[in-house]
Amino acid sequence: MTKIPKNPPVIELHGLKKRFGIGDAEHFALDGVDLTINNGEFIAIMGPSGCGKTTLLNILGLLDRSTDGEYKLDGREVSTISARHQAYIRSHQIGFIFQSFNLIPRLSVIENVALPLTYKGFLRTKRLKIASRILHNFHLGEREYYMPSQLSGGQTQRVAIARALVNEPSIILADEPTGNLDSRSSHVIMEELSDLHKQGNTIIMVTHNPRLTSYASRVITMLDGKINTDTKGIDDDMAPFADAWSTSVKKHKKVKLVRPWGKRHHKSRAVLVSSGRRKK
Amino acid sequence: MRFLLINHLQNARQSLRSNRMRSYLTMLGVTIGVASVTIILSLSSGAGKIVSDQVDALGGNITVIRPGSPQNAVTDLTHIKAQQSFSASSLTEYDLGVIKNIKHVAEVAPLVVMSGTIKADNVAPSDSLIVATTPELATISDLTVKTGQFLDTTINQDTVVIGPQLAVNVFGTDQAIGKSLTIHGKSFVVIGVLQRANNPINYNSVDFDNAAIINLQTGKQLGIGQPQIQQIDVRSDSIANLSQVIIDINKALLVSHAGENDFSVLSGTQIAQPTSQLFFAIAGATTAIASISLLVGGIGIMNIMLVNVAERTREIGIRKALGANNGDIAAQFMIESIAIGLGGGICGYIVGYLAAFGISTFLTFQPAINWQIAGIAAFISVIMGTVFGLYPAFRASRKDPIESLREYN
Repeated sequence: MTKIPKNPPVIELHGLKKRFGIGDAEHFALDGVDLTINNGEFIAIMGPSGCGKTTLLNILGLLDRSTDGEYKLDGREVSTISARHQAYIRSHQIGFIFQSFNLIPRLSVIENVALPLTYKGFLRTKRLKIASRILHNFHLGEREYYMPSQLSGGQTQRVAIARALVNEPSIILADEPTGNLDSRSSHVIMEELSDLHKQGNTIIMVTHNPRLTSYASRVITMLDGKINTDTKGIDDDMAPFADAWSTSVKKHKKVKLVRPWGKRHHKSRAVLVSSGRRKK
Repeated sequence: MRFLLINHLQNARQSLRSNRMRSYLTMLGVTIGVASVTIILSLSSGAGKIVSDQVDALGGNITVIRPGSPQNAVTDLTHIKAQQSFSASSLTEYDLGVIKNIKHVAEVAPLVVMSGTIKADNVAPSDSLIVATTPELATISDLTVKTGQFLDTTINQDTVVIGPQLAVNVFGTDQAIGKSLTIHGKSFVVIGVLQRANNPINYNSVDFDNAAIINLQTGKQLGIGQPQIQQIDVRSDSIANLSQVIIDINKALLVSHAGENDFSVLSGTQIAQPTSQLFFAIAGATTAIASISLLVGGIGIMNIMLVNVAERTREIGIRKALGANNGDIAAQFMIESIAIGLGGGICGYIVGYLAAFGISTFLTFQPAINWQIAGIAAFISVIMGTVFGLYPAFRASRKDPIESLREYN
C-alpha cells in the first residue's frame, strides 16, 4: 500500500460540543472534542457506553449538528452548509454502516443497495446495474432478489456495506458494524473494511470490541464526551488489547486465509473502485 | 439537477403494493366521491345535451327569452335555482307585442305556466301543468297532435289541448276529443290530444305529455290578471338572421323595460340548461353526498398517510442518512398520496359512469361522455391527494434522522 506522504485533513474538529436536554437534565454528550482525521485513515473509536461515540459519528456524518465548536469537512465549516447541501454531501461523500444494518425490510437486497443512487438521480436500470455489480463483488450475486429478512446477520451486514459503498464515498462511517454478529462474521466484515481502507477510503468505526482495533491504523478512546487516548500505528503498541486478544486474532487470521473467495475478488473490486476514482 | 419523479413513482407503486388492502380501502373513499361527481356531471350534461339536440332539431333558429338577468354557466352548475319561483315575472304581454314587431321574427309563443286543478272524471295529479300560450307554440316547439287539432285563434277560446298522460289520468283513456274538463272551475272542451313525446326535460321546462294547453287570452280570464310569462319562444325566419334577431330583441326589450336588464335572451347551448325541478332535487342531494364523501375520503387519505409516515419513520431515517434531503422525503410521500387520490379517482370515474348508465335506464336520456368530466374527475382526485397529503408529507420531511433511526423497527 503506497502512502501519500502528506494526506490532507478530511475532518477537523475544534472544541466540538453536543448538549442534550436543558436545565437540570442538561448533559454534554460531547464536551470539547479536538480531532483531525486525515485522508485514508482507518480510525477505531472505543469507549464505554454513553461516552459520546455514536453522537460524534452522527455529527461527523452530518446527521446531527453540534451545539458548539468547529467542524470542518474538507476545509469547509459545516455549520455554514445548508441542510440541502448537507444531504448532497451525505449522498456523494459519506457511506453509513450501522450496527442494526438498517436495510429497508420491504425492499429486496438489490433495491436496498441501489437506494443511495436514487438520491444521486440515477435511473432505475442504471441503479440496479451498479448495485448488481457491487453485490457480485461481495459474493452476494445469487442473493440479489432475497428480502433482507431471508439473509443471515453476516450477509445482511455485507449488503449494508455494499450499500454504503455503492455511491463511492470517500468517508465511511461505521457504527459498531459487528455489534450484532458472531465472531466469524465479524471478521469477514472487518476484512471487507480493511480492504476498503487499503483502497484509500477513510474509515471511522465505532466499536466496543477491542479485538477489532487490530485492523485500524489509529485507535481513539473516549471518556465522558472527551477524547481520552489517541494512538496511531497500533500494530504492536496496543499491548493491553493485544495481550488479551492475540490468540483470537491469530485464529481469525486463519479464518481470513480459508475464506472461500480468496483474493480474486479483491482484484476485481480494486479495478472497479480505482476506475471509479479515475473518473472523478 | 436530479430528476427523481420516476423514482418516486416507482417507490409509491412499491409501497402501495406492499399494503394492498389498506391502499384499496383508502382509495374507496375517493372512489365514492368522484363517482358521485361523475354521476352528477354526466347526467346533467346528458340532460343538457338532450335539450340542445332538441334546439338543433328545431332548425337552430330558436331563441328563448326568460325573466331574470343573464347568468353564466358556472353559477348554473353550482347555484341550484328553482324555476317558476314566486316572484312576478318581468316579462309582460306588452313585450310579446314588441317582439312580434321585430324584423325577421317569424313566430312568437309565450309560455304562461299556471297553478290550479284540472278536473274531469278524476282530478289530475298535482304535477300536471296548465300552460297558456298562443297557437304558434305548436310549430316553434314541434308539438304534434295525435288526434284532433292544436289551439286556433279562429275557434272557440274555451278549448284545451292536453297531453296523452293527462288524458289517461283524468279520463282513463287518451280518446278524449270532445270531452270537457274544468280548469280553475272553468269548463274547457278538449279539441286535441298530443302525440306522446316522452320528453319531460326540454327547453320549455314543461312536460307536454302531462300538461293542459289553453289559449293565452282564456288564461288571462282565469282570475290571475297580469299573466306570468315564464318564457317566450321566438323563431326567426332563418338561421342566418337569428343573431340579428337576438340583438334586436335585446335592444327592444331594454327600451320597454326602461333600461332594466331583467331578462335574458338565450340561444343555442345557453338554452340547454337542465331545468327540471326533479333533476335539481337529485343533483342537490348527490352534490351533498359527493362533497361529504370527498371530504371523508380526503381525511382517509390523510389518516393513512400519517400511519404510513409513522410506520416508516425508520425508513425515513435510513433514506436521510443515505443522502435524501427533506424535499425528497416530502415528495416521496406526496406522490404516494397523489397516487392514492388518482387511483381512487380513476376507479370513481369508471364506477360513476357504470352507475350513471344504470340510472339512465330509468330516465329518458343518456349520460354524456366528454373530456370535461374526465378532466374534472382527474382534477378533483389530484387536488385531494395533494391537499390531504401535504401535512403528512411535511411531517415526514421534518423527522430528525437520528431519532428516526433509533425508532424500533
